[in-house]
Amino acid sequence: MTQRASGPADRATYVFAVARTLDPAVVADLDGMTAGEPVRLLPLGSLVGVVQSVPAHDFTDDAWQQRLSDPQDLERCARSHNEVVSASAAHGPAVPLPLATLYLSDARARQALEAEADRFHAVLKRIAHHAEWGVKVYSPPASPPAGAHRPAAAADRGRPAPGAGLAYLERKRGLQLRREQHHEQGLRIAEEVDAALAKLATAARRLRPHSHRPSDTQGSQVLNATYLVAEQRSHEFAELTRALRGRTGASIEISGPWVPYSFVSEV
Amino acid sequence: MTSARLDVDRDRLGKDLVTLVLTVVELLRQLMERQAIRRVEQGDLHDGQIEEIGTTLMMLDQRMTELCEQHGIRPEDLNLDLGPLGTLLPND
Repeated sequence: MTQRASGPADRATYVFAVARTLDPAVVADLDGMTAGEPVRLLPLGSLVGVVQSVPAHDFTDDAWQQRLSDPQDLERCARSHNEVVSASAAHGPAVPLPLATLYLSDARARQALEAEADRFHAVLKRIAHHAEWGVKVYSPPASPPAGAHRPAAAADRGRPAPGAGLAYLERKRGLQLRREQHHEQGLRIAEEVDAALAKLATAARRLRPHSHRPSDTQGSQVLNATYLVAEQRSHEFAELTRALRGRTGASIEISGPWVPYSFVSEV
Repeated sequence: MTSARLDVDRDRLGKDLVTLVLTVVELLRQLMERQAIRRVEQGDLHDGQIEEIGTTLMMLDQRMTELCEQHGIRPEDLNLDLGPLGTLLPND
């Protein structure tokens, strides 16, 4: 590949975030993506970028492909990235850039990011004094059916008692009905929670529910959503989730405050 | 996925194949069961037919359980996560 030839000593510019203004000391002590190189600010006209010089060969497409099959390394990268983003956003709004945003040099980064200055300003205005809160709702576990899932094989296997076939179908029909009702109830709860929280939030996004968790004791996930909430309403938001928990009987997990990663790409 | 990370374990492969086959059979069995329940609800079967179909499905269900036990497969292993489409079989 020819792109290795550009940039001094195979360095590339990794970008964490973009802000209006930032105190360099806030990020100077962080490790960033690679130890030994300072996390620094790159002036972008009316904005600044939070960047770091990194060895280009560690961040090629191939390197990321490898990383995708190495959860530990991927987690380390995501945490390093988020650490710098969070520090950048601690004292004023900062637009987090996606993990693995890389340019061949400072000059290329400046050129690309300055071209998007209007969008960054719009996003900064939108997320100022806001935080992102994640909400996951699990429908209450179905009441265990009387004659559990798979009944033990009947003692007299070869010759089922008369009426057993009828009873079997009836039982299965009951199970199916209960499952459908449970499913509908879960969807209703999801709609109710989402509608209530969205009313309080500045913006809301629904993500795909995770189908299953290793310890699936809390029932299935019926809502996986994220909300952009004004700082002065975050207390109210937490109160509301508590009230919804009581009203619906569902288990509601709330996480945050996050830098609003989910609300920076759609302005 | 790089070839270097491909890990082939023959025993596992055999068990995975059995699991996959049983998954497909279980899917068909459940589809037949649903179809039977629908027809019972519509009322176009007489009692004798319902009894016969119910018995057949019940014995298939038992046989399925036995096969799973023989191969050390848990009922919840007979399912596939289809990502955005959910799971192949409904979760109880």
